[in-house]
Amino acid sequence: MEAFIGWMEKHFVPVAAKIGSQRHLVAIRDGFAAIMPLIIAGSLAVLINNTVCVWIPALKFLTPVNGAIWWGTFAVMTLLIVFSIGYNLAKSYDEDGLAAGLVAVASFIITLPQAPEGVGWGFIKINYLDATALFTGLVVALVATEIFVKLIKARLVINIPGDVPPAVGRAFAALIPGIITVFVFGILTALITAMGGTSLYDIILKTIQTPLQNMGQGVWSAMLATFLITLFWFFGLHGANLLDPVMNAIYLPALQANTAAVQSGAVPPNLITRVFFDTYSHLGGSGATLGLIIAILLVARRRQDLRNIARLALPAGIFQINEPVIFGLPIVLNPILFIPFVIVEPILTLISYVATAVGLASTTYVAIPWTSPVGIGAFLATGGSIGAAIVALINLAIATIIYIPFVILLDRQKSKNDLDTPDLK
Amino acid sequence: MKRIMLVCSSGSSTSLLVKRMQEAARKKGLADVEIFSTSQADAKNHYDSMDVLLLGPQVRYLYNELKKTLASKKLVLDIINSRDYGMMNGEAVLEQALKLMQQENK
Repeated sequence: MEAFIGWMEKHFVPVAAKIGSQRHLVAIRDGFAAIMPLIIAGSLAVLINNTVCVWIPALKFLTPVNGAIWWGTFAVMTLLIVFSIGYNLAKSYDEDGLAAGLVAVASFIITLPQAPEGVGWGFIKINYLDATALFTGLVVALVATEIFVKLIKARLVINIPGDVPPAVGRAFAALIPGIITVFVFGILTALITAMGGTSLYDIILKTIQTPLQNMGQGVWSAMLATFLITLFWFFGLHGANLLDPVMNAIYLPALQANTAAVQSGAVPPNLITRVFFDTYSHLGGSGATLGLIIAILLVARRRQDLRNIARLALPAGIFQINEPVIFGLPIVLNPILFIPFVIVEPILTLISYVATAVGLASTTYVAIPWTSPVGIGAFLATGGSIGAAIVALINLAIATIIYIPFVILLDRQKSKNDLDTPDLK
Repeated sequence: MKRIMLVCSSGSSTSLLVKRMQEAARKKGLADVEIFSTSQADAKNHYDSMDVLLLGPQVRYLYNELKKTLASKKLVLDIINSRDYGMMNGEAVLEQALKLMQQENK
């Protein structure tokens, strides 16, 4: 075990650090973080429509209000993320975020068909702005902002001869990066059409986004994702944060498709969504550490330090925050806790997948704050499914049982006060 | 006024520590210290108004890139000690921040 941990510290941790600080992934991660409040607002609106408004008919008048809110938030999430990524990427270069965000949005709309099939000229289909356009949006936002920022950094100067005031030349030069960027996307769009293609949206959706999303719906992919997140955490790295760009890109569209289905009265198509993990696997934080806290309080007798940490970590753990146990216990680089910590989430994921597939729990379709406590989160994310809340609570019991034998081992060990988190400076 | 900013993924677990640090500051009788936490995404909006930026150990992979970004700015950057973070030791982390500012002022 020691040799394995040593090897991982040398080879795995630096790679993680590279991923974690990669500029474009950071821009995507921050871009999603910025639009999350709007996504939750849109989800909340749909949730109200399908719960409170159904339960209390007198509140039916709220239905159009909620529908409108959904339309302007979660339903057009790609439009929002394009601006947000442009802004964040430009900021990371210490350039004008607002200008870059606007250029990114313009470039994105440029690539969209002006006459969608069947409706004639002058319409933007909702699909072009919703999560099915997410990958197109990510690509266009990153490329447009890169071009724009590179051109600004190139400090293009225009020499206007004669007595023209220098300010005129400067104002003109400031326009050039934006002009060139939108022309690049104009040319690209025309080229795709000329070569017989439909649009960038169609190409990216068919060749990249749909295959990746289908893969994401496989239970093994979901189990692997939770395994990786906890593996990162074992080395003291924020796994959920590191994998956020990928998890959002793959599982937020799945959630949005479910929300759209519910909003239009259809059956939600995707078993695994972005909130599936928060509601069923990250119970008390990554590694289902609320189960570990309970296990310690139940069976640790000798080591008072373990019980102290568990008590300190419990209130935060209820709200899915687990840094106190991760670094305080610690879980980081703790050979005894390695096995339960990395296997517990894949197991919970598998159980919840099966429970959802056979209908014990309803499908998740509401984006909830990740800090929602175990059970309550599942209840809200599924639009009020008691079965889902029960599955989440059963998962918590299973997590506790998985941790108990290892806590007994830990309890017999002498307390150790040193913690050397792999250094990344 | 001295401003200390704690940064983690979403500013949640650091907010726990902020509370402890504020208590520690009050006990020490430090009135001119402002401590707050924020998300990694929001941090970039505060670079110019901060004196110290402390990263949670779980996002320490941001350190090297941040160091480059902040080279031209006046705020000092460091990573919070893992053990102090886990124990939510407000006193120790406050001490760390104050020391960093002193070093900077020399």
